[in-house]
Amino acid sequence: MAAPAQVESERVLAERVLAGDEAAFRQLYRRHTPRLHLLLLRLVGGHEADAEDAVQDTWLKATERLGSFRWESAFGTWLCAIGLNVVREQARRRSRRPEVAWPVDHDPPQAPPLERVDPIDLERAIAGLPEGYRTVLVLHDVEGYTHEEIGAAVGIAPGTSKSQLFWARQAVRAALGGRQKGSPA
Amino acid sequence: MTDPHDDLSPAERRAFEALPRMSEPPAALEDRTVALLQARGVLAVPLRPVAGARRRWQPAWLVGALAASLALFATGFATGQYLGARSATIAAAIGFGGSLAQRTEHVERTGSQYVQAVAALMQSRDTSDAPARERATQAALDALGAAAQEVARLAPDDPLAAAVLRGLTERRRATQAPVAQRAVVWY
Repeated sequence: MAAPAQVESERVLAERVLAGDEAAFRQLYRRHTPRLHLLLLRLVGGHEADAEDAVQDTWLKATERLGSFRWESAFGTWLCAIGLNVVREQARRRSRRPEVAWPVDHDPPQAPPLERVDPIDLERAIAGLPEGYRTVLVLHDVEGYTHEEIGAAVGIAPGTSKSQLFWARQAVRAALGGRQKGSPA
Repeated sequence: MTDPHDDLSPAERRAFEALPRMSEPPAALEDRTVALLQARGVLAVPLRPVAGARRRWQPAWLVGALAASLALFATGFATGQYLGARSATIAAAIGFGGSLAQRTEHVERTGSQYVQAVAALMQSRDTSDAPARERATQAALDALGAAAQEVARLAPDDPLAAAVLRGLTERRRATQAPVAQRAVVWY
């Protein structure tokens, strides 16, 4: 939750944006876009152009809905939730990058927890996950969402989120384990 | 198959915590987003003065501006008379006739004319005639308010129309002189 002073400041900025003030919009944009950009970049698997489109669409939607935002949550959290939906809409519309489905009834790759992890390799392994698993892993292990929050944001049951997180971690460990042994993931 | 006790190892947790949480997108993305919002009418389009020499009022320009103003007034007056006489026909042509696409096109055309008219007012913003400037501003705002009211009727949930109306109401309240309170006797 953002500090009250910042909320107040953001509220003032938002009201100025609603009145068409470009400078106020740029302030809000610069304050929140770095976090939004990296979140969306991870969610789209590291595709920079898709992330930029998603950031832009997120701000367009956010300004459309700004008048109805009730300030019961932090502005940044609300913005990221919009960004998450934008990414999911884009994924639904897009069919140019078919992903290999990870069958739910298939035995997951059994990989023990790792004792040494390179963050760069970890970033690559996350980008290589199927979209659903990547979303849950990023939201839970990187952004710190609870399974209940993920369920509400993504529209799945908390139990499904837990299940997908388990599979996602196993896949990441398998990819990183292979990389550590010298074989490409 | 899921294990609820499947936790990250300390090394994995450290690796996740070491991941950056922010990254700077290209600077051009901000300008593109602003331009899109301006094109959609969410953000105001700034009217920047032409770079270079500061504009100075010269007698010839003032005479020309006065003549143009008179011509504009005469044309507007004549047009008003004409439209008034033919209001039924115009109403049929604009409000009750034609396809949705034609009506939309009419809105776009007259909207552009409105914006051009306001921009023409802006050209005279250096004038020292404060009452005239206030009248010009009020005329522009009245037209904006009327348009926002119609948009609000067309799309009651539209936040932008609501924001415009709210802003205009607040402005009206702020500019109105405080009304002396009167004692009211209820029977």
